[in-house]
Amino acid sequence: MAGKSGRTIAHVPEKSVKKTLLCWESMLVVLFIFINIFGQGISPNYQASNVLREMPRYLAEMFLMLPMAYLLVMGEIDISVGATVCLSATVACMVCNTGVPFIVVVFTALAVGTACGLLNGIILTKFTELPPMIVTLGTQIVFRGIAEITLGSGGSVSLQHTEGFRAISGRVGGLVPYVFFVLVIFAVIFTVVLAKTTFGRSMYAIGTNRQAAYYSGVPVQKYRLIVYTVMGTMAGLCALFLTAYLYGANTTTGKPLVIKKGVFTAEEKGSRRPMSFHEPLPL
Amino acid sequence: MKEKKSIIKMLTGSREASLVIVLIVLCALVSLRSPSFLSLQSIADMLMNNTIIMIMALGMLCVLLIGGIDISIASTLGFTGMTVGMLLKYHVVENTFLLFLIAIGMGTLCGALVGLAISRGKVAPIIATMGFMYIFRGLAYMVSNSEWAGADALGSFKDFAQIKVAGFSIVVWIMVFCYILFFIVMKWTKFGRTIYAVGSNREAAQISGINVANVELRVYAVMGALAGLCGALSVSIYASAQPNMQYAKEMDVIAACVIGGVSMSGGRGSVGGALLGALVLAVIAKALPLVGIDALAQNTVKGIIILAVIILNVITQRMMNKQNLERREL
Repeated sequence: MAGKSGRTIAHVPEKSVKKTLLCWESMLVVLFIFINIFGQGISPNYQASNVLREMPRYLAEMFLMLPMAYLLVMGEIDISVGATVCLSATVACMVCNTGVPFIVVVFTALAVGTACGLLNGIILTKFTELPPMIVTLGTQIVFRGIAEITLGSGGSVSLQHTEGFRAISGRVGGLVPYVFFVLVIFAVIFTVVLAKTTFGRSMYAIGTNRQAAYYSGVPVQKYRLIVYTVMGTMAGLCALFLTAYLYGANTTTGKPLVIKKGVFTAEEKGSRRPMSFHEPLPL
Repeated sequence: MKEKKSIIKMLTGSREASLVIVLIVLCALVSLRSPSFLSLQSIADMLMNNTIIMIMALGMLCVLLIGGIDISIASTLGFTGMTVGMLLKYHVVENTFLLFLIAIGMGTLCGALVGLAISRGKVAPIIATMGFMYIFRGLAYMVSNSEWAGADALGSFKDFAQIKVAGFSIVVWIMVFCYILFFIVMKWTKFGRTIYAVGSNREAAQISGINVANVELRVYAVMGALAGLCGALSVSIYASAQPNMQYAKEMDVIAACVIGGVSMSGGRGSVGGALLGALVLAVIAKALPLVGIDALAQNTVKGIIILAVIILNVITQRMMNKQNLERREL
């Protein structure tokens, strides 16, 4: 039963190889390769081992990009993640310094992040008229402010019990950091959920036409709340790995993340697909 | 009875009116704790310290109205301000008026460049301006050549901001002039109305014969010109030029606009709203130290107040809608 356009559900044109090669993601792969070759060309120090040594820090930031892609697909944004990372790292360091088992520290970091994300989500779903950008701008100031109060006049805290953090900042074979594997696992989960599940496809529905999605039975506000909360949790995870790299936290922890994640995710916005691994490593 | 209703309607009728209430309540609360807040001197200081944000909020208003965003403005400001500082330091140009012209000209060029990338290159505004944010800030550092211009290097230029007319610094009067100018332009000129047209419905505007790309280009150029002006102004106000000056202030500018009821998706917002939004931020910043809040806690309180203001705004808006509906049923 072809309509006027000659397209039916069973008759969707196949994606050609050429189209796949010319899409935004493959362009990024090319860019990634190009940047690596360029890096090799201008500096003899640009070697795999050096890149891997500096990598954990940037890899930790990538945790933020995964849920951010969901948000951007929905047409939302969260600029408070940098502050959430800061607050989460601060509290985790404080808790760790009291000498509790490391697992408690892990849960604290995740819980603080989740609470921050939940707060964003609740405000945004209770007052749907508010633009996410301005709400998260406000919460960003609040979260960083709370971190500043917690840190006191010194403005920084350093770890006294580093055993647990040293364990998670380890490397397989002395080269590839653990965080890389954790990131791969999360990236796969996030990609599959976004591409293959009802929940993931709803993101696209909400982003394309929120009203239409609502009337076709997508629980828009519930999903927004979930994604904002997950965003917070991932910020907590990011804070954990960032702390493992920095051995402490201060008022500027996660400060550049707001913009940096913006660049990464703005590109994702163009393609409406998460693609954390195609990003060139900023070295 | 009817009259009473119309007052209520007037108060809840627009976002601007509800912001005026918020502003009055804020001022009243602060002056209860600290009576010196409402003195002429304190208000003059507050306005002078927030001139930069208030002027740039005007440009941001236009940019947001056409559905764009510009996060490169603080960098444009840094670049132009640093250039002005260096020109003064090495005695290349010493005429204050000429320096202002140079700053505005450079700002316009920067803005036009951004506008070209967005209107002709069809780059998404947030990505384009993010790129230019790094470029202009980088240029500021290059111009500075790891130096900075202090008060002694700025000569008569720094005295410009100290000129007082009727109790207020001349800088404040420049800001007032900008607001009057923009109020007229946005309300009664063709250019102002086309901005609203493009923001409300881009396709409709295009079809009805508006050159949307040109409007975009001009809006970003205006934004750049204002950022340039602010570059020169902030060198004069703070009597120093550093490459990282006003870093990350673009977020404050956007916040001022959005608190003032400017829609992020374009088409809605007014000069009055931008003014009130900027004033709310200014009062908050000025009031926190006055009412004796610990320096460490100031950011938190500021954030909570901003959140409270925007949520209050939504609640009044809802009440208004409900009232309108009830009236219709009667």
